[in-house]
Amino acid sequence: MPQPRLELRRVSKSYSDGAQPVEVLHGISLAAEAGTITALLGRSGCGKTTLLNLAGAMDFPSEGEVLIDGRATAALSDAELTALRRTRIGFVFQFFQLLPTLTVLENVELPLLLAGARNSAATARDRLRWVGLEEKASGLPYQLSGGQQQRVAIARALVHSPDLLIADEPTGNLDTAGGDQVLALLRDAATRFGATILMATHSAEAAAIADVRVSLRDGRIQSLERR
Amino acid sequence: MKLLRTLILRPLRRDLLRTALTVLSVALGVAVVVAIDLAGDAATGSFRSSMQTLVGRTDLEIVANGGVDERVMGTLTGLPVDAKFAPILEAQAVIPGVGAVPLYGADLLGESRILLSKPLAERVRGNRISFNLNGRGVSYTAGPKVDGTGDFLVLDIAEAQRALGRFGKLDRIDVTVSPGEDFAKVDRAVRAVLPAGYLLNRPGTRSEENQRMLRAFRWNLRVLSYISLVVGAFLIYNTISISVVRRRAEIGILRAVGAARLTVLALFLAEAALLGVVGGALGVALGRVLAEATVGLIAGTVNALYTTSRPAAIALGSTEAMGGILTGALVSLGSAFAPAREAMRVAPTEAMSRGAREHHASLRWKRGLAGAFVLAGMAWAAAQVDPLGGYPVGGYAAALFAIGASALAAPTLVLAVNRATRVATRRRAESLLAGRSLTASLARSSVVVAALATAIAMMASVGIMVGSFRETVTVWLDSQLRADLYVRPAAPSAAGEYPPLPRGIESVLESVPGVEAVDLFHGVPFHYHGERATLGGGRIEIVRRYGRLRFLPGENRDAILRSLPGADRVIASEPFANRHHLRAGDRIVVPIGARNVSVTIAGIYYDYSSSQGYLVMDRATLLRYLPDQPATNAAIYLSRGADAQRTARELELRTAGYGVTVAPNRTLRRTAIEIFDRTFAITWALEAVAIVVAMLGAANSLLALVLDRRRELGLLRYLGASAAQVRGMILTEAAFLGLLAMLLGLALGFALSLVLIFVVNRQSFGWTIQFHPPVALLAGAMGLVWCVTVLAGLYPARVAAALRPVDVIHEE
Ligand SMILES: Nc1ncnc2c1ncn2[C@@H]1O[C@H](COP(=O)(O)OP(=O)(O)OP(=O)(O)O)[C@@H](O)[C@H]1O
Ligand SMILES: [Mg+2]
Repeated sequence: MPQPRLELRRVSKSYSDGAQPVEVLHGISLAAEAGTITALLGRSGCGKTTLLNLAGAMDFPSEGEVLIDGRATAALSDAELTALRRTRIGFVFQFFQLLPTLTVLENVELPLLLAGARNSAATARDRLRWVGLEEKASGLPYQLSGGQQQRVAIARALVHSPDLLIADEPTGNLDTAGGDQVLALLRDAATRFGATILMATHSAEAAAIADVRVSLRDGRIQSLERR
Repeated sequence: MKLLRTLILRPLRRDLLRTALTVLSVALGVAVVVAIDLAGDAATGSFRSSMQTLVGRTDLEIVANGGVDERVMGTLTGLPVDAKFAPILEAQAVIPGVGAVPLYGADLLGESRILLSKPLAERVRGNRISFNLNGRGVSYTAGPKVDGTGDFLVLDIAEAQRALGRFGKLDRIDVTVSPGEDFAKVDRAVRAVLPAGYLLNRPGTRSEENQRMLRAFRWNLRVLSYISLVVGAFLIYNTISISVVRRRAEIGILRAVGAARLTVLALFLAEAALLGVVGGALGVALGRVLAEATVGLIAGTVNALYTTSRPAAIALGSTEAMGGILTGALVSLGSAFAPAREAMRVAPTEAMSRGAREHHASLRWKRGLAGAFVLAGMAWAAAQVDPLGGYPVGGYAAALFAIGASALAAPTLVLAVNRATRVATRRRAESLLAGRSLTASLARSSVVVAALATAIAMMASVGIMVGSFRETVTVWLDSQLRADLYVRPAAPSAAGEYPPLPRGIESVLESVPGVEAVDLFHGVPFHYHGERATLGGGRIEIVRRYGRLRFLPGENRDAILRSLPGADRVIASEPFANRHHLRAGDRIVVPIGARNVSVTIAGIYYDYSSSQGYLVMDRATLLRYLPDQPATNAAIYLSRGADAQRTARELELRTAGYGVTVAPNRTLRRTAIEIFDRTFAITWALEAVAIVVAMLGAANSLLALVLDRRRELGLLRYLGASAAQVRGMILTEAAFLGLLAMLLGLALGFALSLVLIFVVNRQSFGWTIQFHPPVALLAGAMGLVWCVTVLAGLYPARVAAALRPVDVIHEE
């Protein structure tokens, strides 16, 4: 059996908000294999975003460990974490998070520029073509619709061909048509690029494209179903 | 009130560091203004004769250029009027361990001891006091102490005349009209018997003359001190702009729930006023401290260039304090008005996205550029205006317009430079992001650029002005100081005072082998139309043959100098001519000794040694009107082939005991340049403060930029930016800002230096300065400023790098 790309082992997370710590996640264990989409479902405030941040090595568990390719994220140095983000992980957010001052193409190109990669513009253009927005390359984000902005964000998240894509409610701010396009792209990313996708969502449509559906409740896994 | 607390005070408290930086920049601006004012008052306010308490009230004083003949006393006391006439001599005594102290000769009815003022008596112990008078050591038994403010000595008039070698001469006669007597009658009677050239002045005329003499100096200092305030104003504008931008949404909501436009305006003006008042109060306190540090510098300049003054105590009255606080508040309110008005115009349904808003803002540069051209035109026009009441008002206005023009041109510059470097900056993420962020927040970044540029421009312009002036003076010294050796009394003397050379020294000087010619110069302090100046007599024939005096363009040196001997013709220094609006060929009446002499101005020569100016005639002519006037210095020309060093040594040997010093040309030049440099020390200090204020502003703005873009900075980390890259990006922004400010600042500085040199200085001091920008100095200063700007980015960069991405990514 191939090693899972991402594995959470008895992960707990608590925030020390004020006097006593509040535990948000309790002993979560989860594994995601290459090329699969895992959907995280659950009520608002149940800890989805928190879990995604742990999975994307942007934050670290209070207990247990998060393993990416078998290495615990908490043990990595800052430089290793940065390298990890530059090569292995991409992020998509609910509110798109494009930089308003950069053009569409520059937004997509940015991760490559930050990593100091060559041919960044050509690769970025390639990804823009993939999401069907090549003609908007020199426009500014505010000139795009929400759905288009999210497609640009997906192009950006995948521009460096990451193995792991973390998406926090990628359709949360879109209508059905926009959402469907975004979901199609995510599905395509998993099959074509072999990316492991971990996605938090409230929508049934989004849950429908997932290979694995995990329901969270009060920081615990309530159910896990595979397709 | 509640609104004020939640919308203004709370954010101010939340951003304590930024609030502190803003308050500090206002405080520094106000502090410099207050300090210069207080120190200026203290350094120049102490001319009032400390004798006043000794002689009591004086109603009139009789003075004469070249001294009052003591025989006038006899005539005056014989007048049938009820008034007292007191003969006075004035000199400077140099007491070891104390320094220069005024010595008065007054009628003490033959008292042979010397009287000390009470404050002085406390510092000089023992019953014999020794000091230097006109370069000679003297010693007296101390007599009774006298009341009076400050240090001074009093000798009986006859003894003073003897000690000073001024037999038969007085400096002035103080007239006190008895209570019952008719003042006009005394005035008429005295006038009737005084020789034509004598002046009958109200007491205080001298103090007024002093103030008038220092007026230009103090004004220019004061205006320089406003620089920091101008820079501070930009920063207030910036702070209020930021707070408006940040609270746009809140303002929109406020308006939606029914707040009036004026309420919004008042809220932001209140914020500015608060910052201004707190900054102003802090500035007053800081100014008081700075004044202590600067008073010595100012007094030094006044003593070197104008007249003896002893710094008085620094007096911070409630008027000055209130003035400082008010200045802070007004500058704050003035500069906050534009952003506050913008806040007022925020629509209740404000919902424009940031990208769109910034895009619109960046389209406004065209209007700014047009405004810049209009202001530049106004600056040019203002520079052409004649001085108003003796002040170079047009020059100051031109400088303000030019600063305004550069501020309005700043957005265009930011955009243009960004466009020009687009290809280069796009290659690295840091520079791409830095460049974009600057153009995106164009309104804000241009204010920072304008503020920094103003500070840099001030520094550059004053640097160019002082450098040009220095070069002009150096060149002038080279042509002016042609003689090989200079002889003058060894006693230290203040500007405007001319201790005499011992009589008979001329023949001693001429007897030394190797001496070709001796030009004896007689300097006489002299009053002309309520201003102080120097009347001089020299051996014009020698000046003509050996000297290199330079006259205004178009004037024939040789012909002018040939026309002087044997005629009532004079040459005037350029400042004298400008001050009194004189041209070659004009005839003026000059009171010399007992007579009013009508003289013709034969020519006007360049001179940079006194802004009061000189009127120089042939020595023989001067001595005709002032027969006993002693020479005050001598210039010695050596014969060709003579050994300068050996001759100097021989001169020193033969004049030993005469109390004179023999200085080679080189020493004099060096001393002159040293004095020059010392007088501009205060200028550099002021510049430094302006730069510090600008740096605070740069740090402040970068910090605001960082805090406003927390979400973006967090996002970058998600996208693979390292902490170092985030830091690098902020530092790149700082470097970019510094570079833009330098470009704009140099251009503005160049324009301002032209205004300073050709308008302000010319109109204030009356001299022509040649334009010589000190390139190396400027380059060094610019490099330094640039480094400091980048340093100002260090703290904001650290804040940016330390942000936790997970915490900030969901903020808006
Ligand atoms: N930095 C923090 N400090 C303290 N508590 C936090 C912090 N971040 C999140 N929480 C708390 O943790 C819990 C889980 O938050 P999380 O953002 O993971 O929920 P979510 O499932 O993503 O909700 P939503 O569907 O609304 O996005 C919430 O109760 C929240 O209040
Ligand atoms: Mg969430």
